[in-house]
Amino acid sequence: MITQVSQPVLEVHDLTVSYEQHPVLWNVDLSLPAGKLIGILGPNGAGKSTLIKSIMGLITPTSGYIKIFDKALPEVRSRISYVPQRESVDWNFPASVLDVVVMGTYGKLGLFRRPGKKEIQVAQDALEQVGMTSFAGRQIAELSGGQQQRVFIARALAQQADLYLMDEPFAGVDMATETAIFQLLQDMTAAGKTVLVVHHDIHSAMNFFDWVIMLNLHLVASGPKEQVMTEELLRKTYGGKLNLLTQVTDLIRKQDFNPLKR
Amino acid sequence: MEDFLYFFTFQDPSITWVVLGITLLGIGSAYVGTFSFLDKKALLGDAISHAVLPGICLGFALAGEKDPRYIVTGAFLSGALATFLSSWLKKNTKLSEDSIIASILSIFFGIGIVILTVLQKSGNPEIAGLNSFIFGNAIGIAEADLLVYGGLSLTIILVLSLFLKEFRLMVFDPNFGQAIGFPIQGIRFVFNVLMILAVVIGIQAIGVVLMAALLITPAAAARFWTNRLSTLLLLAGLFSVISGIMGTYISFVLPKMPTGPWVVVFLSLIALLSFLVAPKSGLLPRMLSRRRYVRQMHRDHLMKALYKAKEAEQAYLSLEEIHALYPFHRNDIQQSLTLLLRQGFVVQNTAGVCLTAKGVSDAMRIVRLHRLWELYLNEFLHIAPDHVHESAEQMEHLLTPELEALLEQRLNYPALDPHQVTIPREAHDR
Repeated sequence: MITQVSQPVLEVHDLTVSYEQHPVLWNVDLSLPAGKLIGILGPNGAGKSTLIKSIMGLITPTSGYIKIFDKALPEVRSRISYVPQRESVDWNFPASVLDVVVMGTYGKLGLFRRPGKKEIQVAQDALEQVGMTSFAGRQIAELSGGQQQRVFIARALAQQADLYLMDEPFAGVDMATETAIFQLLQDMTAAGKTVLVVHHDIHSAMNFFDWVIMLNLHLVASGPKEQVMTEELLRKTYGGKLNLLTQVTDLIRKQDFNPLKR
Repeated sequence: MEDFLYFFTFQDPSITWVVLGITLLGIGSAYVGTFSFLDKKALLGDAISHAVLPGICLGFALAGEKDPRYIVTGAFLSGALATFLSSWLKKNTKLSEDSIIASILSIFFGIGIVILTVLQKSGNPEIAGLNSFIFGNAIGIAEADLLVYGGLSLTIILVLSLFLKEFRLMVFDPNFGQAIGFPIQGIRFVFNVLMILAVVIGIQAIGVVLMAALLITPAAAARFWTNRLSTLLLLAGLFSVISGIMGTYISFVLPKMPTGPWVVVFLSLIALLSFLVAPKSGLLPRMLSRRRYVRQMHRDHLMKALYKAKEAEQAYLSLEEIHALYPFHRNDIQQSLTLLLRQGFVVQNTAGVCLTAKGVSDAMRIVRLHRLWELYLNEFLHIAPDHVHESAEQMEHLLTPELEALLEQRLNYPALDPHQVTIPREAHDR
């Protein structure tokens, strides 16, 4: 059940990715419409983060390509914003909330130039949007998990992009914050932005997303929520055992070289 | 004392030069070191500093004398080779980072010592100066050498200041940096070059064996005092400069005394002091606040005992009765009693100890907090009444007036606690 769209914001063409000798994504081929709140669902180790990292150019795929706004990544980088997983950084790093959010403006600033009044204003606006204005001067080590997550989202907002890629922004976030963030994301899509979110909770996915991608090493489904969120597809994503695919993965890992790499 | 005055009044221009050099070198290495400390790459600095020895010796052998240009270039190249090798090995083998670093360090240093010994046997009269590269000798540095080392330090400081934003991003969130299109690989390369340079500038003053201490210890000590990167850099620089100058001074007063070990001694003192007395994270402040809490606890327990006696229509508690209540804390209770007497919360006469009006009011607050917390645990967290006392014994010393007000509001100003005992309040609050 894979719906392709014309004039996609994002086109993933026949993408295969492997870590070392461990294939984690098989021939993913999808296209996404603009102005939608899009969820990426799948069990642990399904390759959800890998997909996002490949789109962001952090991982070099074994084969296939990605086009964003019909262009290659380097040409449109300033229009894309990325929220890494919260655990990917050391929150004991000596920095204030504002310091981290200002990093969102670095892309437009480029090398050498230092953030000035304008950048700080952008960062403060972003903090206001996530309801963290009063935390601007706080050390990031003193924040709760949910607050750290909101700081990361504020940093992404400060990038003022058109396409947002968020890796598990709801991990470790309480219900009230989750609803508030979803509300914010819906406001963003209403303003024409496209938001792609790696997510694990099927229940809230049902409520908030417009479009859903289901992954489990391969692409199970991609399409409007109403068509995709069926019991059969969910079972295929979460429940069904991928016996054959897992065995092939093991087989590849046992080789002395990576046969997928050309 | 005369030496001290002579040294620190800078009458001797050569001392002024050395101190200036050490200052620049201290700031430069602490600056680079702070970033590698935050990046959790402290060991790499140690490996590099040992790995520059073969380069120094080969530079010397090539020049036939202690020419700083040859020696600095040699040191830089062998440091670069070590850095490159360690990242190559990490990428292409399954060895863990610490084994790679340990091997690189010992292999390079071993080779360095072998070459050094061979050179020493060669009978070149210049060789004596080469030994100072092991443990450093700041006083022995010639002015021409100082220009080279000082200039390099200045370069490090300038480049780091220029790229502050980029290095911050590289350490905190390299993935994000790459995602927004920053050449993180290139930035890391520049940083590694600075790191090697920071080692190279210290080889003559501090020595290869101990240079890593000057990179990492200032940042580690400064981290106790601050949570801000700018302050951290400033403090680390300051600590480094102070120890550098003190080490140089010792080398000046005690001839033949190497500088490096003394710098490390002073750095360690600063680090130890920071570990002990730094506010909040220091050992001493934490012990003190723990002790304050225990004092407060005993005081509160005594007040509570007197209040409960009063509830049971017994105005006075004799000293024996009080000590019987807390058999293992005689001294603590005695201390609390003395304090309470002085503060006018209690009075003592032949019948025993009794609360004053002021004391009643304060004791009532503690008992109220205790019972409110018990009720809160029982009603909101559904904990059985016979399990709530322990927690309340701790919380009664901690709850603030704001939280008390919130508890009262949530529980709707209750009259009784879970044990059906009255929650006491002031007459005007009832």
